[in-house]
Amino acid sequence: MIADHLFFAGINVLLAWSVYVVLMTGSLSFAQGMFMAVGCYTAGVLTVNFGWSLVPATLMASAFASVVAAVVGWPALRLRGVYLILVTIGITFCGRVLLENFKYVGGVAGFGGMQGATHVTVLVAVALVGAALLLLSRSPLQRTFDAVREDDRVAASLGINVPVVRMIGFASGAFIAATAGSLFGHYMSFVRPESFDILLSVYVVLYVVLGGVNNMWGALIGATVMTLLPEYFRVLAEWRPTVFGLAILLMLLFRPQGLLSFRTLSSRWKVDQRLANLADKP
Amino acid sequence: MLVGQLLNGIVTGAMYALVAIGFSLVIGTLDKLNFAHSEVFMVGGFVAVLTANYMPWHLALLVIFLVGGLLGLATEFIAFRRFQTNEGKITAALASMALGLIITDLVHKGWGAEPVRLTTQSQWLQTGHSIFGATVLNLQIVILAVAFLLMAMLHLLLQKSRMGRQIRALAESSVSASLLGINVRRVTQTVFFVSSALAAVGGLLVALRGGAASSDIGLTFGLKSLAIMAIGGMGDLRGALVGGLLIGVLEALMFQLGLGRLVEMTAWVALIAVLIFRPHGLFGGGIHAQEQRA
Repeated sequence: MIADHLFFAGINVLLAWSVYVVLMTGSLSFAQGMFMAVGCYTAGVLTVNFGWSLVPATLMASAFASVVAAVVGWPALRLRGVYLILVTIGITFCGRVLLENFKYVGGVAGFGGMQGATHVTVLVAVALVGAALLLLSRSPLQRTFDAVREDDRVAASLGINVPVVRMIGFASGAFIAATAGSLFGHYMSFVRPESFDILLSVYVVLYVVLGGVNNMWGALIGATVMTLLPEYFRVLAEWRPTVFGLAILLMLLFRPQGLLSFRTLSSRWKVDQRLANLADKP
Repeated sequence: MLVGQLLNGIVTGAMYALVAIGFSLVIGTLDKLNFAHSEVFMVGGFVAVLTANYMPWHLALLVIFLVGGLLGLATEFIAFRRFQTNEGKITAALASMALGLIITDLVHKGWGAEPVRLTTQSQWLQTGHSIFGATVLNLQIVILAVAFLLMAMLHLLLQKSRMGRQIRALAESSVSASLLGINVRRVTQTVFFVSSALAAVGGLLVALRGGAASSDIGLTFGLKSLAIMAIGGMGDLRGALVGGLLIGVLEALMFQLGLGRLVEMTAWVALIAVLIFRPHGLFGGGIHAQEQRA
């Protein structure tokens, strides 16, 4: 039981981090569920049909998913905000329909036979990805990401190739999501295309929003709490979408700075707040 | 047979257009993405189920128009009023998405997750005429008439009325609009009322046509309309209309070709193709198109 809970919390944390990485470059992705599916099915085919072992199969599947993300996301990554959101929703729908019509991986009936992942594997993956994100937050790449997110025009004028930076973020997000998907598949040992529908992607984004988007810990906490709470309180499980939606609405109301404000230093924040108040005065 | 399919496509397309125009109206005037829109659309079908026993469908149409409009006002109050800043754009979209989750869950609690049958007392809707070898149901004529009438009324509202002028002024710039003495909040509420009312009527039409109200059309049909809005060009009403009809007819033709479930992909593939070759949509080029460019 506990192992199950740990496992699902770990998977959701990985997914939340995959959204967080994309969000670091200022884009919002609703395709993480589908990249999870790509990872799951690719790794599944590699282990079941070709006899690979779990780790290389997972890495291969994740690399494949990030290539897919880079290719599919390219037309939208040149554009801003809403268009990328739409394309990611589109990826989720198209991916599901394609999987359902792809006989090699079982179509609607689903694909099974994968095994080998346990909750320990997932926790190791969470630790590895967390370490990578920590390293990233101290690297120059993080500052490039920050520049692109805060103001892409200024970033472009500083010689940063904005679409490429966004693509790096998007592809890394797909990589992490695919890792989560591969582990998910090898734990459940049977998956169907409908396990990866649009609601999954929506929920994952909202985990991150609930936890806070300022740093990687927000995603970690949001995903863990929202996975574990319904397991221990039946009422919450029954009214899950409503409670979850209300929590999001309240959280957004009490963080009037808005989702995409990444300022963490409190003194900076106060100054910004005062400036914002001045600007808001009619 | 082909004519029949084409007609089917046009009818579907008109319904797509009705929902897409709502998205487009909000994004065009306020530059905000309202995800709760597709759930208000879904609720329209369920209000139809509720009212079907008490009144004929043309009265129900009026009730649903009002209910949808009120839901739109609620959406504006809950998810949009507090997130007015530029940074708040995505926040507002997420808040409306959370609201959409709540609406869907409440509908699930009320009617269950399965589609609910909608029985109309009127036999008249199901009678057909034969034109060019294809059967045209009165229902299809009604759907087309209602959709196009509403769109024409919206066009008149926007182009000929005082409120329409204010809406267009707000679309240009909310600051200058308020400097000119326009009550921005009132205009915003009107935009939300009208767009959500159109969506709810769209929900009624879809339920009438399918004979059932289903709680997952918000995420399928509704989000497809969102893609259609982007295909036509954000904030452009002609674009939403042409895009809707185009996708509706394309889907019908692909269905005719025997592509089965792959038809579901049409709108999304078209979206990606449009973004590659004409990033602002078919009719894009309005003020917001300039800003969307990275």
